[in-house]
Amino acid sequence: MTLQRRDFFKIAAAGSAVLVAGKATASTESTSADFSDNFGVLVDTVACIGCRKCEWACNDQNHLPTQELKAFEDKSVFARHRRPDKSAYTVVNQYPDPDEPDKKFAIKVQCMHCNAPACASACIVGALEKQKEGPVTYDAWKCIGCRYCMVACPFQIPAYEYDNALDPVVRKCTFCYERITSEGKKPACVAICPNEALTFAKRGELIQLARERILAQPDKYEHHIYGEHEIGGTGWMYLAGAPFTTTELPTLTSEPIPPRTEKIQHAVFKGFVPPVALYGLLALGMYTFNERKKKVAREEDRHES
Amino acid sequence: MRTDRVLYITTLSIALVLLAALPLMAAPTPSNQPTMPNCLDCHTCKNPTPEDMCLKPCPTLQAAHNTRKAKHGLSEAPDTMRLDEIADLYQPVDFNHKLHAGMAQMGNNCGTCHHFSPEGKIPPCKECHMPSGEETNLRQPGLKGAYHRQCLGCHREWSHDTKCVVCHLPTEGKKLAKGVDKTDIMGISHPKTEAPKTKVYTTPYKQGPIVTFHHDEHVDLFGLRCVDCHQKENCSYCHDLAKTVSSRKSMKEVHAVCSENCHATDNCAKCHGMSEKPAFVHAVTGWPLNRFHERLGCRSCHPTGKKIAKLNNECTSCHQNWKPGAFRHAVVGLTLDDTHLELDCESCHIDRKFGARPTCDSCHDDQRDFKKVPPGQYSSR
Ligand code: SF4
Ligand code: SF4
Repeated sequence: MTLQRRDFFKIAAAGSAVLVAGKATASTESTSADFSDNFGVLVDTVACIGCRKCEWACNDQNHLPTQELKAFEDKSVFARHRRPDKSAYTVVNQYPDPDEPDKKFAIKVQCMHCNAPACASACIVGALEKQKEGPVTYDAWKCIGCRYCMVACPFQIPAYEYDNALDPVVRKCTFCYERITSEGKKPACVAICPNEALTFAKRGELIQLARERILAQPDKYEHHIYGEHEIGGTGWMYLAGAPFTTTELPTLTSEPIPPRTEKIQHAVFKGFVPPVALYGLLALGMYTFNERKKKVAREEDRHES
Repeated sequence: MRTDRVLYITTLSIALVLLAALPLMAAPTPSNQPTMPNCLDCHTCKNPTPEDMCLKPCPTLQAAHNTRKAKHGLSEAPDTMRLDEIADLYQPVDFNHKLHAGMAQMGNNCGTCHHFSPEGKIPPCKECHMPSGEETNLRQPGLKGAYHRQCLGCHREWSHDTKCVVCHLPTEGKKLAKGVDKTDIMGISHPKTEAPKTKVYTTPYKQGPIVTFHHDEHVDLFGLRCVDCHQKENCSYCHDLAKTVSSRKSMKEVHAVCSENCHATDNCAKCHGMSEKPAFVHAVTGWPLNRFHERLGCRSCHPTGKKIAKLNNECTSCHQNWKPGAFRHAVVGLTLDDTHLELDCESCHIDRKFGARPTCDSCHDDQRDFKKVPPGQYSSR
């Protein structure tokens, strides 16, 4: 993780001007301008068979509550439109193909690992960060639980542990950060995908690959690589056999969101010193209160056992 | 830990206050200019035109070219094979190669699956497709992807399903489950194909939009094999019971199926009409079939050539072995008695005209009727 606690204090001590720069650092400088060297994944929904093996692999990798592999053969879940949540970082949805209703169209959804992540730019403490390798990572330690990221994300990905009263954290796809960087492996979902609907590579290569696929089978594919330009480009990109407007992926412009969120934030903060100070104090208060609650809980636990 | 975190939050609050107090400092906008692809990544020339795209050779296309080169016989191929190189989370697959290869005759022959089949032995998939994690070429699926795509490409299309157990042997821990009936796996994966009886097509041909195709007639009567008409077909066209897949043939190709060897295309009305056409009855040729011929396929009598030619309707033009001793007279419903069994056929069937009424007059001068005074015994019909 790039921005450690100690660095954070250093930055804070050096003054908030540096903090602003630090924030900008998190979202832009860490990667080459065109992000082509970042890791990415191409999701070819034409090849996706909706087998849900990626869901299992993700749960397994991230130690999320899960069922045995066989249980994921159950296709009845497709009756309901599902979203990634705190206990499932990725889900596969399946719809009838709009052109041929008898055919099905499956799509895996997870964090898109944006080039210019709105979540990271909205996060006032830098808990969400764009890593130089591509993944947008989350540091629960830094998170103060303000959930700005959830509002900012155009894909509505970050999920919150509302049911965890003591220490709730934001949850989202990690892009198997350790696995793909230090371990040099593919993300768990990519590795398991039987039909190789998921391709893991450098973003630049993936765009090239996606173009070739469209060129080779122009009748089969929509002539659009979703995520190549959307909101400044995303690390995870999609190919589809039907217009993207029929998928659950939102229609977005190529304008990156961070400048927008930052502007809003700055406008909010400008001349709002007292409320912000109040928020700070509130956060402090909430934190101490939580800590006390935790202590009480711990003590109660001790008494019970 | 705790003081650390309190300190963190406090610093945070102060930093926020300072931050808010500072004049608005717009962070530099990240440069996210869409990247232009390099033309030379795909093209060999600088200025490709729609006419001359000078595309770099694509490995998939190359493989497709290769397919057309070599012909391979079914006998060279294995009957069944166990695909177990990468079995990990699922059991291996027992693949009935013979069955699929036989079916492939209606598709693109071996090339239906073996997109790379040069002269000599067809290389196994794993010769090019690497096991997961060892792949070096983004444009070539790994072995897992290659297997699954190859099978699912057709299977998912007509079965409307992607159940793993359709191909993978059922599991029981890490060992093969006992008493697995592999034929049953084939049963699950291949529902019986239902051949249509009659298909009625509506075509854009104004003078006769309706084409009635009696499928059963072509199979049962004309004795055509599937492969005689179904060539370069996709599996789903026959296997998909939901019938969502249509033949991807052009009008020209569709006509060629009927006209190439059987029906001349100079008479459109032969197939096209304003309403449905009835099935073929032999009587329209002027020769209604009797109870013996009725059950025969056309090829029993019209064996030569693809076109059905008019035959001489003298019985003996076909039945050349009708001789005493060789012909079991009982089949016509009359078992001859010993006296008559000895006679030459011509004694009753004058000039061997078996289609005409037989006579008793050659021997008997009492003008008897063979029906009333039978030369043997009639069996009840
Ligand atoms: S998809 Fe949402 S959560 Fe993921 S990086 Fe983009 S903005 Fe952040
Ligand atoms: S594992 Fe691959 S094929 Fe299966 S649902 Fe996930 S993306 Fe689709």
